[in-house]
Amino acid sequence: MKIVITSVMVNDQEKAFKFYTEKLGFIKKTEIPMGEHKWLTLVSPEARDGVELLLEPMAFAPAQVYQKALFEAGIPLTYFQVEDIQKEYERLKNLGVQFSMAPTKMGAVTLAVFNDTVGNNMQIVQV
Amino acid sequence: MTYYHQEVLRLRTVICPKEYLCDQVVEAKRYIDDHYASIIRLDDIAGKASISKFHFIRLFKKLYGVTPNQYLVSVRIEKAKRLLKNGASVSDACYFVGFDSTTTFTGLFKKITGYPPSAILKKQVPATIIAPVIYNPAWKKES
Repeated sequence: MKIVITSVMVNDQEKAFKFYTEKLGFIKKTEIPMGEHKWLTLVSPEARDGVELLLEPMAFAPAQVYQKALFEAGIPLTYFQVEDIQKEYERLKNLGVQFSMAPTKMGAVTLAVFNDTVGNNMQIVQV
Repeated sequence: MTYYHQEVLRLRTVICPKEYLCDQVVEAKRYIDDHYASIIRLDDIAGKASISKFHFIRLFKKLYGVTPNQYLVSVRIEKAKRLLKNGASVSDACYFVGFDSTTTFTGLFKKITGYPPSAILKKQVPATIIAPVIYNPAWKKES
């Protein structure tokens, strides 16, 4: 058994695709039409064979309650590792990405949290 | 300030009350990253952190979850995986990343990755699972 895919629930699949590819820089791995939505996964260009991120439509109403609570508390859904967090923070800020937490040191890591525009907070981490 | 941000600020005082010490341990970890192929003595990297080696090991483990030596092994194995993937022989990969015995290297490699280094050369390992490894303390207990 292997971990191949992790998912992020998004309230707008097309908007999510634009944000995650155009702002964050991920690339499309798989796109399979499935009725009104699609099976849409992304990978990092730095790890094309790595874990895929599934942009999963938020089609289950009760899950919205959970997503909203996390978002309002500023809690990130997951994180992405970066080599230089300050540089990435500046790059994303210049692209208009909204941060709820600027780079902040915590022990051996530095963290920053941003709004993915489709219902979630995401975190970038420099180890 | 969000709830999460407040928690991060609270936790960092718990994890590392003295930030200058954390910074020195992070610096030592970077030294391992940059000099993994050299002989790295604990006294040297603890010295870089300006603290006793026993305190250094405790602090390193507190911050990274593994001891400095376990971390060094994980870095070397990760580098070796890339070399093997690019066609290096087992012995070349072994010595290049800083091990001085192919027996030790092969044993640690298999313990950490679950397969022997030769499996990469024989392409018995799918590319998708040649991923970064972090040393797991449990591996030591198994030996």
